[in-house]
Amino acid sequence: MIELNSVTKQYGSLAAVDNVSFSVKAGEYFALLGPNGAGKTTIVKMLLDFTQPTAGSLSVNGLPSTNVSSRTAVGYLAENYHISPHLSGWQYLQRCAELLDISRSEAADQCRRIVELVGMQGREHTKTSTYSKGMIQRFGLGAALIGNPKLLILDEPTSGLDPIGIREIRQLLESLKNQGMTIFLNSHLLSEVEKICDNAAIIDRGRLLVKDKISTLVKDGDTLEDVFVKFVKG
Amino acid sequence: MPKAFSSIIKIAKYTFTDEVRQRSFIVMFVICVTLVFLMRGCYHGNYTVNGQDLDAGAIVGSVSRATFHVIAVGVMLLTALFSMRVFRRDRDEGTQSSIFSKPITRWQYVIGKVLGLWVLSAFFMFILHAIIFLTVSITLKVVMPGYLIASLLCSFDLLFVVIAVLFFSLMMPDIAAFLCIMGIGIISFVADGIFAISHSPMAQAMMQQQGSQQDWTAWRVVYYLWPKLSGTQHFASSFIGSEGFSGFVYIYPLINILIYGLIFSALLFWRFRNEDII
Repeated sequence: MIELNSVTKQYGSLAAVDNVSFSVKAGEYFALLGPNGAGKTTIVKMLLDFTQPTAGSLSVNGLPSTNVSSRTAVGYLAENYHISPHLSGWQYLQRCAELLDISRSEAADQCRRIVELVGMQGREHTKTSTYSKGMIQRFGLGAALIGNPKLLILDEPTSGLDPIGIREIRQLLESLKNQGMTIFLNSHLLSEVEKICDNAAIIDRGRLLVKDKISTLVKDGDTLEDVFVKFVKG
Repeated sequence: MPKAFSSIIKIAKYTFTDEVRQRSFIVMFVICVTLVFLMRGCYHGNYTVNGQDLDAGAIVGSVSRATFHVIAVGVMLLTALFSMRVFRRDRDEGTQSSIFSKPITRWQYVIGKVLGLWVLSAFFMFILHAIIFLTVSITLKVVMPGYLIASLLCSFDLLFVVIAVLFFSLMMPDIAAFLCIMGIGIISFVADGIFAISHSPMAQAMMQQQGSQQDWTAWRVVYYLWPKLSGTQHFASSFIGSEGFSGFVYIYPLINILIYGLIFSALLFWRFRNEDII
């Protein structure tokens, strides 16, 4: 589903991503972990062709990431999500559906279902300028789910959510995984990742430190946090 | 409708509606409409030139042409103001990342933005010109169909302004992009003015006396090669009143501005293709 081959991204003399290779199979729930500035978001941006790699290649859905068709059936939630403040959550979801060429009636059905799924019933018709960060994040996740994507790329999906919101989103992602969706997650919340992900990769300063099954990484009574600190601190 | 075209239309529609919903746009629109309504008083004055009173027909023609130019220049400035912040706002509000995470190409997005802004500014100018047209038609019973054709032709200036400002705004702060297009406009108007003066009998006589032909040559180069915002406006205004279409030589400013529009479009696509989406 996702493949990175010797990918490097250079910003001047700084290597934000340095010769990284890994793959994510269909139906996998994959977490990309790393401290701030490790290069996680840069990898996501390269997957979506928001920025081009300096060297190496990436493919999504079997197509080079530079091919616009690779983003068909991909849902994306950005870190620090924003929505135009003059739109309501409903209008925003409708726009996302319209851009995917979903018919009007089908779009209305999907939007209704998604509003329920992200727990925003009753607030969908108010302007997003009145929403909290957590509410915007929920609508962002809802927008990523429009069009029933096969691959979901989430950059810090629980950012700004309270503990109850985090739990709800986790349950939602688990149910999506059970439906066969591939999920690529960037997150700092290691306890959440440990609970729900199958595989994880840890990167630091642009370099891939390890990629394995969570069950293999975490053993002997350690937590994922212990493993993370061990790898990052060297 | 092909998918590529349908995506462009959607992005253009969002650009149009997002801009119209901005409070600054609404305020500007109300101010402009009010000012244009106030201009109707100019048609009822008594004008004297060289001691002779102008007849009603001459007043209508001259005042209409003057208001046409004032509106066109004003809308050009407003178009630059609206366009300069479009990419930044889309970046800040997450619109770009939302659009590009879907199977939509960068050129579709850029064309959609240009189209949306162009239609919006042309519509804005057309409404203001239409107010003058209706005022003259209703109160003075003089119908000038060429006035509305001139407005549509003048919208090619707005297309150039939109493309150029969007390009500049990718390379410099918004206000600098605005000032750049202002500079291009001012030089265009000054070059046209100097060219017109250099062709006046008085200037011709002075040049022959002082042998200063070379000074005008530099301006002549600027006159022909610089983006002809002013020239296109004058070409469009030739459709007002009885002048009508004056031959293909007069189309040069329009061709000039279309060529510059194409050059800036190519630069805009090239620059935006290499732009990182945040």
